[in-house]
Amino acid sequence: MTTSSPLAGAPATALPGRSRPRPGRLRAGQRRAGLAFALPVIVLEVLFLLIPIAQAAYFSFTRWDGITASWIGPANYQRLFGDPTFWRVMANNLLLLASVPLAILIPLLVAYLLNEHVPGWRFFRSAYFLPTAISWVVIGMVALRVFAREGLLNHLLDAVGLGFIHTDMLAGELSAMEAVAITFIWSVFGTNTIIFITGMATLDREVYEAARVDGAGAFTTFVKITIPMLMRFIQFAFILTLITAFTALFSLIFVMTGGGPGYGTTTLEFYVYQQGFQVGVFGYAAAIGIVLFAIVFAISLAQLRIFRSRLD
Amino acid sequence: MGIARRRVGRGLIFLVLCLVVVIMLFPFLFMVLTAFRSRDQYLTGQGFSLDSWRELFKFLPVVQELINSAVVTGGAVLLIIAVSTTGGFAFAKLGFRGSGFVFLGILAGMMIPMQSIIIPEFVNIARVLHLNNQYLGAILVYAALGAPFATYLMTTYYRGVPTELVEASVMDGASYWQVFRKVMLPLSIPAITTVAVLQFIQVWDDLLVGLLFLNEPHVRTITVGLAVIQTGRVVNVPALMAGSLLSALPAILVYLIFQRNLIQGLTMGVNK
Repeated sequence: MTTSSPLAGAPATALPGRSRPRPGRLRAGQRRAGLAFALPVIVLEVLFLLIPIAQAAYFSFTRWDGITASWIGPANYQRLFGDPTFWRVMANNLLLLASVPLAILIPLLVAYLLNEHVPGWRFFRSAYFLPTAISWVVIGMVALRVFAREGLLNHLLDAVGLGFIHTDMLAGELSAMEAVAITFIWSVFGTNTIIFITGMATLDREVYEAARVDGAGAFTTFVKITIPMLMRFIQFAFILTLITAFTALFSLIFVMTGGGPGYGTTTLEFYVYQQGFQVGVFGYAAAIGIVLFAIVFAISLAQLRIFRSRLD
Repeated sequence: MGIARRRVGRGLIFLVLCLVVVIMLFPFLFMVLTAFRSRDQYLTGQGFSLDSWRELFKFLPVVQELINSAVVTGGAVLLIIAVSTTGGFAFAKLGFRGSGFVFLGILAGMMIPMQSIIIPEFVNIARVLHLNNQYLGAILVYAALGAPFATYLMTTYYRGVPTELVEASVMDGASYWQVFRKVMLPLSIPAITTVAVLQFIQVWDDLLVGLLFLNEPHVRTITVGLAVIQTGRVVNVPALMAGSLLSALPAILVYLIFQRNLIQGLTMGVNK
């Protein structure tokens, strides 16, 4: 993870010989060049990522309208943790979290089938991966027509003689969240399938042959061989999906439900937007953003830990 | 017997995979079919027309929005490529005092969710820099969000380039800038393509940054225009689907052409 930075402190006392630069001189010049080349990305990140996150942390302890801020200590956090809506929102995030195992398991199974390389498997792969290129706005736009009262899902139920189930998923708080979760699983399906396909391509086919010779069925092979050998890829997909669930669904929710009905589909990231730009309490919204950051940071640290433990 | 059973097994697998294709492509089929229907035709499910497109162009400044999307996406992608290639070269091949630490710091930027910084960012751009409703404001924010991963990708790529190549050129009297331009950049076209494809799709498809920083109609991107119309009162499903199709088309094209790069960039996180 660390770069090969030249740590040897080269003294800048090299003689100014023009024809053949001495190693020390070269080092110093190289390091100056290194800093110069790295400067643009450093400046960009400091100005538009580092300073804003520090500001967010600071302003989360203030009452702030964007112009004047007054220090109020941890009052925003006290208010937040005592706010039933906040816990409602957290529950919604938990529901999304509960859908993550499905968002892993389904692609894992399909990747396993895809890896059999039946005719047309390349086409299947491309088709599955297509939603990755589509914006959440467009996905939400179509999903809305799938789950609506007069939508595609109900037409389908009618067509197969299950018309009595007739749902109006977007009208109920819990069912609307389920609709968002289903759309979420659908959207990350392609990405996760590709990750697992890549992983399976690295596996030794001989292991499978050996298992087959030993009389292991497809299911046994899947559970006993594929899953353990793919653990690294499963963990990667798991973390990626988790972070997507927490930070990438704003547009989907904006288009599909607007966070409603009630607070039915408001997640943490959407709550930041609502409180900040619809209610206009910037300090309070900053505090919500910091809670979100803390969660994502914890997930990322867990990922780092897994990564480290593998290196040891 | 065994072969026959395997045949049946493979046939079943094929069927399951076909079913998944239907589930994955059906929404797109719906979008495309509906985009070419009038409102009445949509309700009855019969016939096709171009009505929805006329409607779309009437109530959305689509052409202007496509131009805005192109400018913002192009600008952000170029800026990301610029800073991530120079940065990657520095971190992988040159180094400086504390460069390892700085590199880790930039990687840590990937852990910051956009929503956590969006409020101070908005205040900075709008009230301090006065760049709201200007392309540059959104471009800078997109670039800052995309650069950490791009820099990681470029650094990893440049680490694979033999250091002797750089040293030999420098010994021959080339400046570091010349080494970068003449040696490193041409060598890294595949990695740059991957960065460009990933970031193009990311920025083109984004809503939140555009919604906040480009909120006046004349600078709005197509994705924002569409989302705003959707939440309005106008519910003309075929026109909305026509707009969706139009906005998705550039990203789909990029996807179809550069699928391989996209997959490479995505699986970069595990293979390294």
